[in-house]
Amino acid sequence: MQNQRRRRELRSAAMLVAPFLFVFTVFFFYPTLKVITLSFTNAPLIGEGEWIGFDNYVKLLSDRLFYTSIWNNFYFVLLTVIPTTVIALLIALAVDHLKGRVQALVLTLFFLPYVLPVSVVTLIWSWMLDFQFGILQPMIEFFIGRPVAVFKDPHWVMPMIAVVTIWWTNGFNVLLFIAGLRNISPDLYEAAALDGATNWQRFRRVTWPLLWPVTALVLTLQMILQLKLFDQVYLLSNGGPFNQSYVVLLQMYREAFQLNHGGYASAIAMVLFLTIVIVSVLQFQLLRMGGRK
Amino acid sequence: MEGTGVNLDAVTKTFGIVDVIRGVDMEINKGEFAVFVGPSGCGKSTLLRMIAGLEETTSGKIRIGERDVTNEDPAKRGVAMVFQSYALYPHLTVFENMAFSLRLARRPKAEIMQKVHEAAEILKLTEQLEKKPSELSGGQRQRVAIGRAIVRAPDVFLFDEPLSNLDAELRVQMRLELARLHKALGVTMIYVTHDQVEAMTLADKIFVLQGGYVQQWGEPLELYEDPSNRFVAGFIGSPSMNFFNATIAGHTADGISARLDGQPDLGLEVRLSQALEVGAEIVVGIRPEHLALTDGPGLRVTVDVAEELGGMSYQHGTLEGGDAVIFQQSGARHGLRGTVQTVVPEPGNIFAFDREGDRLR
Repeated sequence: MQNQRRRRELRSAAMLVAPFLFVFTVFFFYPTLKVITLSFTNAPLIGEGEWIGFDNYVKLLSDRLFYTSIWNNFYFVLLTVIPTTVIALLIALAVDHLKGRVQALVLTLFFLPYVLPVSVVTLIWSWMLDFQFGILQPMIEFFIGRPVAVFKDPHWVMPMIAVVTIWWTNGFNVLLFIAGLRNISPDLYEAAALDGATNWQRFRRVTWPLLWPVTALVLTLQMILQLKLFDQVYLLSNGGPFNQSYVVLLQMYREAFQLNHGGYASAIAMVLFLTIVIVSVLQFQLLRMGGRK
Repeated sequence: MEGTGVNLDAVTKTFGIVDVIRGVDMEINKGEFAVFVGPSGCGKSTLLRMIAGLEETTSGKIRIGERDVTNEDPAKRGVAMVFQSYALYPHLTVFENMAFSLRLARRPKAEIMQKVHEAAEILKLTEQLEKKPSELSGGQRQRVAIGRAIVRAPDVFLFDEPLSNLDAELRVQMRLELARLHKALGVTMIYVTHDQVEAMTLADKIFVLQGGYVQQWGEPLELYEDPSNRFVAGFIGSPSMNFFNATIAGHTADGISARLDGQPDLGLEVRLSQALEVGAEIVVGIRPEHLALTDGPGLRVTVDVAEELGGMSYQHGTLEGGDAVIFQQSGARHGLRGTVQTVVPEPGNIFAFDREGDRLR
């Protein structure tokens, strides 16, 4: 009797899990395994290759272009992660003061870019920043004294891609911060006001510590997202000029789909994967400790 | 008006088009325990928050001691507030919660230590000082909230329904502790509650609020014994007073004789100095504890629910006309449920109101 019921439960459990397991195995687990094994071969993009052990990784370690891309990746992280978090927090704090429909409207405005596909985002910005006709060039000219072809200038290219990226993805972070702010009871601010806290002290001693888990989450998500930078670079500058915007995923793409080095590209992918895992775990732990203090 | 009492003068509060407080005057003397009581939505919490400075005052004047604080910052009013939700800072320890205001004021460390430990001593929290609020029980959190107020040594303590999140037993215990604390500190306290039992047991002075007005204020027993209108009469006392529509049947030596509608056989004598015409329609109020079982003529009540409390019981039922009645009975343990009982009111304990709800005296 009980055995029968247990079997029935197991059967329905298996049926419920099966679709997910199938999709996960075929589209995620198997490709992952395949990439790991590919990275130890000299396979082309299509077809099998020979097992060459750690040769790809050794080669990668002496590949100067790889170091350039890694450096560019971290430069980009530096340019985006903390600025976008700070900007999102400031916007969220401001939007939080608004009420009702006005708040919803403003929030929508900030969120709007996030729903655009990357191709549209890059098109808009490459038009706005066009060397001859871009509407932002007069502004650049006003500050610098001359127009700049930003995506063809080695100094401007990464910061401008960072600006585009922040504009594009910031709305999501604002949303996370708003959710975090709404979780803080208004009673606490009233208690703090009675305790004699100034606006700054209320932020410093109540909002900031209570918002810290959300801040840590935003920082970590941003870190992972920005290390995976590819689309914007591919569409805006294609890695140039002088490899100043050459990033790891772009290198992987070129090795795999333009140079037909499937094995080598897999090794690059693996290194990026491990980098992201290590950096984000490390970061999240550090941030959690920071919050507990 | 001396020292640091609280004085309200024609205070009003409007939210948009809604008048929440429609003109309140009150005077709370130094060291008094004042309780605002009323049903939810009567404006009692709003009034308290106006005294605290958390809500702006639309018109009128609020004074604490000799100072006009109507437009003063909350922090500068010399008040401390205990919130219904306790409003403890969840990321800080009990010690830091209590030290918060002193830290903001950059007091010396030794002073902070001393003040927090003193407050913790009073509230038996010394063992809990290093814990976070999430590790404490409801009663302990409540004490931390009070401790945070004590540390600031305010002129006036404000309590916004502080016990409503506690279970019944703890509530009784905390009520006693609050009463002792008030005696020990001797400062002015203003306490908001919807629970008239809390109001009766704690207050030196009760303010009954309804519809944005103070309906009546005075000592607890004063309100119980001499309510000035039907609302106060119904609100103070538990279970609440029975009300019956009645007609004046005649005059007696010191008042009137009234007949309840639908009860033509029984004349109730009500002491009144006011002269009223025979035939005038009034409302008669009788408390459950002033109705006694009798073998003679009286009000015939069909009891449908009996609440047995051990020492006494509350019998809920209806008159023949359908009016609901509650009467209190002590001693007898046999169930009256389902029976028809006859009760008479104690003479001298019958209140009369006009149909608008004002007391007839």
